[in-house]
Amino acid sequence: MSILLVGLNHKTAPVEVRERLAFTDETCATSLQALVDGEVIREGLIVSTCNRVEVLAATGRGQDAEANARVNSFLSDARRVPREVFSPHLYTHADDAAVRHVFRVASSLDSMVVGEPQVIGQVRHAYSVAVEAGTAGRVLHRLVHHALHVSKRVRTETGIAASAVSISYTAVELGRKIFGSLKGATVLLVGAGEMAELAARHLSNAGAARILVANRTHDKAEEVARKFGGAAVDYSNLTEHLGEADIVICSTAADAYVITPEMASAAREARRNRPAFIIDISVPRNVDPSVGKLDNLFVFDVDDLEAVVTSNIREREREAERAELIIESEVMQFQQALRQLDIGPTVGALREKLQAIADAEYERLRPRLGTLTPEQEQAVKALLHSTVKKISHPVIHRMRRSHDTGDEENLQAWREIFGLEKE
Amino acid sequence: MKPLLYAALAAYVIAAIHYVLAFVNKRRAVERVALLSVGCGFLMHTLAILADWIGDGHYPLFHLHETISFLAWTMVVAYGLALYRYRAQALGVFTLPLVALIVFASSFLRGASNMTPERVTDGSAAWLFPIHTTLLLFAYASFFVAFAASVMYLLQERELKLKTFSAFFHRLPSLSTVDDIGSTAASIGFTLLSLGIMTGILWSSARNGRMWHNDPIEIFAVMTWVLYLTMIHYRTQWRGRKAAWLGVAGFALVVCTFLGALLMGGYHMFG
Repeated sequence: MSILLVGLNHKTAPVEVRERLAFTDETCATSLQALVDGEVIREGLIVSTCNRVEVLAATGRGQDAEANARVNSFLSDARRVPREVFSPHLYTHADDAAVRHVFRVASSLDSMVVGEPQVIGQVRHAYSVAVEAGTAGRVLHRLVHHALHVSKRVRTETGIAASAVSISYTAVELGRKIFGSLKGATVLLVGAGEMAELAARHLSNAGAARILVANRTHDKAEEVARKFGGAAVDYSNLTEHLGEADIVICSTAADAYVITPEMASAAREARRNRPAFIIDISVPRNVDPSVGKLDNLFVFDVDDLEAVVTSNIREREREAERAELIIESEVMQFQQALRQLDIGPTVGALREKLQAIADAEYERLRPRLGTLTPEQEQAVKALLHSTVKKISHPVIHRMRRSHDTGDEENLQAWREIFGLEKE
Repeated sequence: MKPLLYAALAAYVIAAIHYVLAFVNKRRAVERVALLSVGCGFLMHTLAILADWIGDGHYPLFHLHETISFLAWTMVVAYGLALYRYRAQALGVFTLPLVALIVFASSFLRGASNMTPERVTDGSAAWLFPIHTTLLLFAYASFFVAFAASVMYLLQERELKLKTFSAFFHRLPSLSTVDDIGSTAASIGFTLLSLGIMTGILWSSARNGRMWHNDPIEIFAVMTWVLYLTMIHYRTQWRGRKAAWLGVAGFALVVCTFLGALLMGGYHMFG
């Protein structure tokens, strides 16, 4: 059994090519049934996301070249795209390289943002589509499950997904670093904007209990507060409300400082020195930078958050190197498991063994046959070989069937009868 | 019992190494090994102390090697409690290497022959002496936890203010957690220290009528007591960085108290 992967991704192909090759779920199922012919392509699966289109196929041993050609023409036929459009962008991996690629994709090492979690769901989904279409068999079943296992290992054993790589999520992460849990925290939104609301949404999902909204126009504050089930508060009383908030998100269009050190000190006193986290995502800045010099107040502006994101991405890339080591060892383990799945060597060994018996018997009794013409000699040999073949054919057929149904016990019985070593 | 102590030492060394590895590599499996070895080490250590107590016939807190071994034991107890309450695994990176070092030192030291435990078992209030020493060692262990929490606080506070994060930033518990650990440990330590000083005064006055000997250890102990009292009193005003620095300073005084007894001698000395 051999594994073949043909595809393209965001690194090799521009979006104009990717979108032309992309499959929807419905086209995916019917196309898969067209692709899998049971002879060359035994099993098939298509991973189609906005960043990649990949065809994963299980083929017979030694059929790689033929399978590759079939997958290529399949892509062109199924999506009605001329080959020249996509073939320069294609990559083709076989066996170890294909397994490694699948593991890397499922572990999110091949993603645009390394460590992003969506790709796991996408792989799982691609598999369930193939199962429903009836094109995923034993090999792909093992491969996908192994890939999901590897992905889980990589996530728990490396820090590949440990740190936030978006500004709004970085706010949550820093909040956790300061407060531990965000459960019960009070968030004050000063002004409103897309990014501020996104950060507030993340904080609320992380457990923040109260969202207060202050805005120069009170109606706008009420509108935003409704979205979060929060409360609109009086903008002119900002100092007082700062004292209530653990986390402040500032994003007004004001061109002067909205939060001054005096206000911040007063608020801190009201909070009995408990720490506060102030996020300033407005440009020009709304929070006087000297607020950040006060003890127990942690101020982050847009540039600070960007810098955190950049360093987190670098950290993920460092961790990805450790993930590659895990993947290498898992690829080896998978290949071992796959070899056990493979019936080919057993069938070959059986044929060879029976042939050898026939040849030995021929050699032993040859002198008794007297002089034969070369034609006669050939005929005797052919007779022996075809007898052996006819006898072994139903046996091999049965062995294959035991193998396909996963009946290891039966298969082992066949091996023992013929004295074959298990590979 | 030396073999038990060696076994405990081996377990602590394994735990210390695995804590450092887990801290650097962030592996759950490594953390489990560390935790398991601490458990084994603690069990062995407890048995070693009990065996000494039964074997030597005196409370195992008299000679220097006994005292520091007991100190290490109280540190493991304090670490275990903090771990149970706060799940702060990172504390192990600070605690276990030091515990291993102290047990190592303890296994090398022998009791001085010119001093016998009878020195402290005479008089009517002799029963107060082991209570005095035990309370103080537990107090020191609490102050050590407060110190470790303070260091973790200061490291993180600095990184948050400078907005540059080292690789270890993510391995440490949150600011609020370490602040809480620090203040709780300091309060517990302060209570134990007060009780320890009190029992010491009672023991000494019952023994020879003197409450105060102008001993370096007594002076340092009172300084420590005043410092932690101040820290607890101004807890809300000085929350955060200032409190963390006090935690560090307090522990420095604790170390001075210990070294004072060791190097300067006087009334308080270890056999």
